[in-house]
Amino acid sequence: MGDGGNFLIVIALLPFIGALLPGLMIRAGRTACAIFTALPTALALTLVLILAPAVMRGEVIQAELEWLPQLGLSASFFLDGLGLLFAGMILGVGLLITLYARFYLSGEDPMGQFYTFLLLFQGAMLGIVLSDNILLLLIFWELTSLSSFLLIGYWKHLPEGRQGARIALAVTGGGGLAMIGGLLILGNIAGSYNLTDILRQGDAIRASEWYHLALVLILLGAFTKSAQFPFHFWLPHAMAAPTPVSAYLHSATMVKAGVFLMARMWPVLAGTEAWFYIVSTTGLITMILGAAIALFKDDLKALLAYSTVSHLGLLTMLLGFGTKLAAIVAVFHIINHLTFKAALFMTAGIIDHEAHTRDIKRLGGLRHLMPVTFVIGTIGALSMAGIPLFNGFLTKEMMLEEAAHTVWAGSHLALPVLATLGALLSVAYSFRFISHVFLGPVRDDYPHKPHDPPFGMWAAPALLVVLVIVIGILPAAIAGPLVAVAGGAVIGGGELPYYSLKIWHGITPALFMSVIAVAGGAIVLWLHRPLDRVWITAPRPEAKVIFDRLIAGSVTISRAITEGTHNGAISRYLAIFVVTSVLLGALAFAGGGLGAPTRELLPVPPIFAVGWIMLIVATLLVATLHRQRFQALVLIGIIGLMVSAGFVYLSAPDLALTQISVETVTIMLLLLALHFLPKTTPVESPVSLRLRDAVIAMTAGGGVAGLAYAFLLRDVGTISDYHLANSYEGGGGTNVVNVILVDFRGYDTYGEIIVLGIAGLIIFALMEALLDGPAARRLRNTDYSQNRSRDRHPLMMVVATRVMMPIAVVVGIYIFLRGHNQPGGGFVSGLVIAVALLMQYMASGFAWTQTRQRIEYHTMIGWGVIIAGLTGAGAWLAGKPFLTSSFTYVHLPPIEEFELATAMLFDLGVFLTVLGAVMLMLYSLSRIARYAGETVNVEPMDYDPADTIQVTKEEG
Amino acid sequence: MTEADFNTVLPEVVLAVFSMAALLYGAYGGKDKTAPILVWITSAIMVAIALWIGVNGAGVQTGFGGMIVNDAFSRFAKVTILLSGAAVLLMSESYLAKRDLLRFEYPLLVALATVGMMIMVSAGDLMALYMGLELQSLALYVVAALRRDSVKSTEAGLKYFVLGALSSGMLLYGASLVYGYSGTTLFSGIIQTANAGEISLGLLFGLVFLITGLAFKVSAVPFHMWTPDVYEGSPTPVTAFFATAPKVAAMGLFARLLFDAFGGVTGDWGQVIALLSVASMFLGAFAAIGQRNIKRLMAYSSIAHMGFALMGLAAGTAGGVQAMLIYMAIYVTMNIGTFAFILSMERDGAPVTDIESLNQLSKHEPLKALAMLVLLFSLAGVPPLVGFFGKFYVLKAAVDANMAWLAVAGVVASVIGAFYYLRIVFYMYFGEEGNGIDGQMAPIAWAMLMVSAAIMVVGVINLFGIEALAATAADALVK
Repeated sequence: MGDGGNFLIVIALLPFIGALLPGLMIRAGRTACAIFTALPTALALTLVLILAPAVMRGEVIQAELEWLPQLGLSASFFLDGLGLLFAGMILGVGLLITLYARFYLSGEDPMGQFYTFLLLFQGAMLGIVLSDNILLLLIFWELTSLSSFLLIGYWKHLPEGRQGARIALAVTGGGGLAMIGGLLILGNIAGSYNLTDILRQGDAIRASEWYHLALVLILLGAFTKSAQFPFHFWLPHAMAAPTPVSAYLHSATMVKAGVFLMARMWPVLAGTEAWFYIVSTTGLITMILGAAIALFKDDLKALLAYSTVSHLGLLTMLLGFGTKLAAIVAVFHIINHLTFKAALFMTAGIIDHEAHTRDIKRLGGLRHLMPVTFVIGTIGALSMAGIPLFNGFLTKEMMLEEAAHTVWAGSHLALPVLATLGALLSVAYSFRFISHVFLGPVRDDYPHKPHDPPFGMWAAPALLVVLVIVIGILPAAIAGPLVAVAGGAVIGGGELPYYSLKIWHGITPALFMSVIAVAGGAIVLWLHRPLDRVWITAPRPEAKVIFDRLIAGSVTISRAITEGTHNGAISRYLAIFVVTSVLLGALAFAGGGLGAPTRELLPVPPIFAVGWIMLIVATLLVATLHRQRFQALVLIGIIGLMVSAGFVYLSAPDLALTQISVETVTIMLLLLALHFLPKTTPVESPVSLRLRDAVIAMTAGGGVAGLAYAFLLRDVGTISDYHLANSYEGGGGTNVVNVILVDFRGYDTYGEIIVLGIAGLIIFALMEALLDGPAARRLRNTDYSQNRSRDRHPLMMVVATRVMMPIAVVVGIYIFLRGHNQPGGGFVSGLVIAVALLMQYMASGFAWTQTRQRIEYHTMIGWGVIIAGLTGAGAWLAGKPFLTSSFTYVHLPPIEEFELATAMLFDLGVFLTVLGAVMLMLYSLSRIARYAGETVNVEPMDYDPADTIQVTKEEG
Repeated sequence: MTEADFNTVLPEVVLAVFSMAALLYGAYGGKDKTAPILVWITSAIMVAIALWIGVNGAGVQTGFGGMIVNDAFSRFAKVTILLSGAAVLLMSESYLAKRDLLRFEYPLLVALATVGMMIMVSAGDLMALYMGLELQSLALYVVAALRRDSVKSTEAGLKYFVLGALSSGMLLYGASLVYGYSGTTLFSGIIQTANAGEISLGLLFGLVFLITGLAFKVSAVPFHMWTPDVYEGSPTPVTAFFATAPKVAAMGLFARLLFDAFGGVTGDWGQVIALLSVASMFLGAFAAIGQRNIKRLMAYSSIAHMGFALMGLAAGTAGGVQAMLIYMAIYVTMNIGTFAFILSMERDGAPVTDIESLNQLSKHEPLKALAMLVLLFSLAGVPPLVGFFGKFYVLKAAVDANMAWLAVAGVVASVIGAFYYLRIVFYMYFGEEGNGIDGQMAPIAWAMLMVSAAIMVVGVINLFGIEALAATAADALVK
């Protein structure tokens, strides 16, 4: 990277660094701000001019800085002919606009802010045209959207500016994002994100299967930026911005970015049918449509805005032709359009500034009042109309010449006719600009008496119209070299096609078309008044209305989506959740390829079949009868029993034992809890909804069942072998389930008992909190009016449970002790003893039993956890990991030799915790009863036979 | 159970022990009066642990027989989780205190949830996965219903809980199938069974249900239904928390499971993830258009963002994981700034969530409006802000993995999505004069807003070097 390269980086950075200056100068006054804006611009322009000779010789100046190499992003810049043209335009016009804005904006406007945004924008534009990396280009591209948003928003107090800014932002911002995809694909095809590399791979890119997608996405970005049909509507709406902004953004620079991109990508994207039809057709439509709308706009700036749209369409169409000559004409027209359109915008601004109106209907006769402005405006407009001796004429002629030779969809006539129509309309609105604003009698009802502005304000447009004339008269000498080098860059090197820049090409088809256009244009203007009436009454699609409808439509769709899925009902969420899971499962099933079953279905003994059927029927009944809570509870009991029976059948007595005791305890506790709740649940969902849920539930359940069935019929590597093999040797027990619980998965068990303990404590704590609050009031006021049994604590039951108590405890201890080798263990025995105690509470009444029970359940839980924890920690003493169990055989006469395992101690912890937790839950629940007004019994039995006997004796 | 085992989870242990000690202190030492100090201490400890992990960590350590893996990937995710958690915690203090919601349990629940998340991202086993996930979820269920006297908040908590329980059930079903068909719960063991081309149907089903469960946690469509309701119903600081750290953790866990356990069969899950990704991006983008409530809008926005992050995963490459990590880091930063602002949205002392209340903000609060403009543009993925780089990384990863269709879908979705972010910008700059917001921003929230906006601008220089860190992290995961 030589000096040129360094210069290039400085050029790219200057506006950004310079952007800080005006912001800081904000208190130094308008002139200081303007000077400090002009300074970096002028410096950058000087550097560009220093580099210009080398570029004109055909060199390409490059510079590269590493940025995020992995992403393919580097801060690399290059300057070729096209870049030179655009950089010169951006900086040159930037200078003029700085000057113009100094006089245009009033003292109250915050100038510093304005100039900062202007420089930011200028830097972004400069970045686009200098980038050698498409990602970098993209970044600058969106930066223009951002800074232009700020510039457009500069005059916040204008209400019409609001909608414009929004549409501009939505359209160009969205287009830019679409471009990301296109550039990404382009880079992927080319294997590099460097423009210079990509430009070399035109053939590979055009041949790629992704070409069309990339093309469409990139063109979306370009079309939105350059306001091409059907995105043309944003540009006029953005015109509410202050005129210097409109002149800079909407005539000279930003809207040309799309054209620039198409020119830049021309060597790789152009030349295919898709390119031709998409680009040239869009351009043609935009050209005619823009011109037609411009003709009937009364707002001076709107007229110019739509004329810009039309000219951008012309440029797009030329690039779309895909011929080298057309591309070069486009380059030349870019220069010409810039000069006359910027001048015209500034003229419009001057008129607005002086006459305080831009409404053409309220203007006229200004040539006497504003002679200087009249001259400038007229030259600009004549050039726009394409009148000889002005530069607009040259490119219009060349464009018509190109159109005359191009075949569109097999028709030789379509393009030339339509292009002439566009030119004709263009002439009409240009003439209208002159005649309706400047010509005619002087009026006496201007909102403000206009006169020519100070020199500073008309200097910039004056300079531009001088260029218009000079290029118009001596095109080859003034613009020739630049057009050649820029055009050469667009067509991607190689030989330039033959063309000549001169006013008189002889008698050509283009000349005829031109004459028709001028004459026709004059006629149309003459007929303007009646045509205008037709135009106003004629129905036509208003793009802005369509845009608004589109937005409204998407809001409606969006609402429909959210209200359809997010209606707040959790049942719907669950339904969606389950249905998707089922679908995903089906997908997996379809994709997985299930082989043929490898096992036979075992014979089903009738008795077990009955059991399974009962299980299914009970499950279905729970779902249908769940509103009758008592019945539901009974059914749940059946399910539990059947599951236990199933475990027995499948040779898992351990599980069966646990299941049945858990089942008993939970049903009892549930019974207690449900007593204080409403006996039925009201039906709230309609039948259709329940039907839907039923179908979903059956499908999901059926799916899971089917899955289990399918898996059970096939051989699988099972994990039980490992446990069977290691249970005795590693864990010292022959009951595998128990060994798994206390050894293999001792951690889990330890965690579980803690959870169980916590659950017990939480129920206790919640109940304490609840019974202080409104729940207690409600309990007290609820009328439990059902008939109570007169004999709630019957004699028989009290006696039976007392007799059973020691037996149950012994059974519990037995189960506990045998647990390690035979079905049983701490968990089950805890439950068994809990049931024994529960029975006491039920038979003899809560208060009576409670006074006779001296161990705090809280403490029991605590001890359980501590014992289990200490047992586990004991393993550390032996240098083994936590919870490693060990066992030994002890011989204590007269008992036979027996085994002692540390696991038993652990089991004791489990036992205590389970017992404590269950009892604590019961205790907590029973407290509700007392709040509900249940009487507390002191005597164990409602009817004590002993009392009767005594009475009899006394009597006797 | 050796010292080495504990060393791998030392940060988690420290945070967990701290939370429990602080819980006791809070319970016995003045209840809610201790809340402010606990908020500060908790955040300080979380930041300190983040620094500790970030500076000290190196290499790969496994503990507890491979159940916990401490590698570059988990460290990257943990630092992101801890820092974002601390940031959200700090900025929520004044909001909660003002509305009498500052319970001393709040910072500790956040800390415990963070412990869960840290375990999630370093899980090397289905058990550790589930443990971390549930620790996180249970804490989150509670904080979602923090405002107990509000019907909306309790409803949000309940919905979240019920749906979360269902998703946990799915996850467990999947985990048990995987265990049954691979014979181990260790990821390192599962990956040996799940080889390309010969994954058994049982494992495949297990994988599908595991994905279902995790998709719920990252709120990927169609398991996203809880998100808008919970975002809207929860107190705003809680929403901010939901939108940041847990998302990183869930994505981290997702990546861990898919690559550590099922890395050999990327083809089998790539398409499913891609499907979730597309659905999330589009639904997020489309549904947000109709939202007027900024919290609901951010919910849909987060759904869309998760779609983009999933795109990185769907690619199934190291580049994809790196892209996902970068995306998440950027996403979290943007969300912290945005929520710092949303926290300050109030009128006459009452919080407002209507986006129309932002009308003309730029006139009254030019600096805040500018910061929000930067953040919203960044959320929309507009270059040159940092948000663009996040998007670009995932798009590039998708294209590089021959999933150009996915990238194009992403681009289209981002165009649609840009609309609603830009609409807020529009309101702020060009909205009609109306009832604006008048709240003063708490200094910390203000700082968070400005810092995160500044990061979005300054970060474009080199993304603060996270690119290389994320690359190392991704390489640790994708072998």
